[in-house]
Amino acid sequence: MGLYFHLIVQFFQIGLFSFGGGYATLPFLYRIGEDFGWYSSKQLTEMLAVSSITPGPVGINVATFAGFTTSGILGALIATVSIVFPSFIIATVVYKLLDKFKTSKYVKGAIKAIKPAGCALLSAVGLKLLLTSNLHLLGGIFLGILFISTFFKKYDAIFYLGVSAFFGVLIGAFNLIGV
Amino acid sequence: MDKTSYTIFKTFFKVGTLLLGGGYVILPLLTNELVDKRKWITSEELCEYFAISTSLPGVIAANISVFVGNKLLGLKGSIAAVVGLILPAFLAIVLLATILSEIVAKAFVQNIFWGVGIGVILLLYLAVKEMWKKAIVDKFSWIVYIVSLLLALSGKIPLALIVIAALCTGIIHQIVSDRYFSTRENEDEVKI
Repeated sequence: MGLYFHLIVQFFQIGLFSFGGGYATLPFLYRIGEDFGWYSSKQLTEMLAVSSITPGPVGINVATFAGFTTSGILGALIATVSIVFPSFIIATVVYKLLDKFKTSKYVKGAIKAIKPAGCALLSAVGLKLLLTSNLHLLGGIFLGILFISTFFKKYDAIFYLGVSAFFGVLIGAFNLIGV
Repeated sequence: MDKTSYTIFKTFFKVGTLLLGGGYVILPLLTNELVDKRKWITSEELCEYFAISTSLPGVIAANISVFVGNKLLGLKGSIAAVVGLILPAFLAIVLLATILSEIVAKAFVQNIFWGVGIGVILLLYLAVKEMWKKAIVDKFSWIVYIVSLLLALSGKIPLALIVIAALCTGIIHQIVSDRYFSTRENEDEVKI
């Protein structure tokens, strides 16, 4: 019972405080993993990869997945409903007050500060992953090549994940790195 | 097609199934289904809902579904829209997660996930870049960004607290700069 209570509270918080779309939920999900030990950061990275290539918004997918990893199908259901519930309430209220919401200078001020904060939280996750992943030299070079390629042409998430999966298989097949 | 809870649910179920990746992809899908095919709302309304949805907390696709659902059929419509949107995502993950836990232990799959971990870092970079364009616009947003980043990296402070602090700072900044500018305007008037 205690576990489900924590699940509700934690995922409700994500729905309430993550600004900037699905990926903005990730900083919270990583922190939950650290605080409660429901899943490791490596597991969450795998969940994110799977979520990026399955139907549905990535934020919903990864929350469902994290809930499932924590306590099966009931956990998945609780996590999904809890993360959407605050959105549902807030969006319904804002819809009713649409014109007031658009012109309020306090709302404008708040949004102006919340956007960079949400962006910063996600940047912190990216930096932490970069520093703690077992990239090795070859992985680092591969990431560098992908990074530079985005300046010329940007592909879908599924392309980057496919290419990196293939790279992982190659590295494994030739036993280049003891992954 | 009539606007009933069932048709709204069906439409959003379809959108939720076709949607891959982040919430930003939902706009063209909704335009196609709601504006072009069903003519339920106008493209302007949809764009406005989308813009507001991006500044609300939570998953953008869910926020915009609540807006559209409300517009079409009030509270009933918004529930039908959100449930339709998230149901495919939920089912896909529950089905996959069951299989995944069994195959993930194999060495071959571990290699794939090692590689995919690199791709995920790139995806995060692209997501940050996308948010950056809309978020970092002046000196004030730079400061908020740097301070929030340092606080988040420290790993000690609850993330919700960082967001609340940013929210308060934004409101105070707005009040202070309004007051500053309005006094300046008053001085100008006095001079004239």
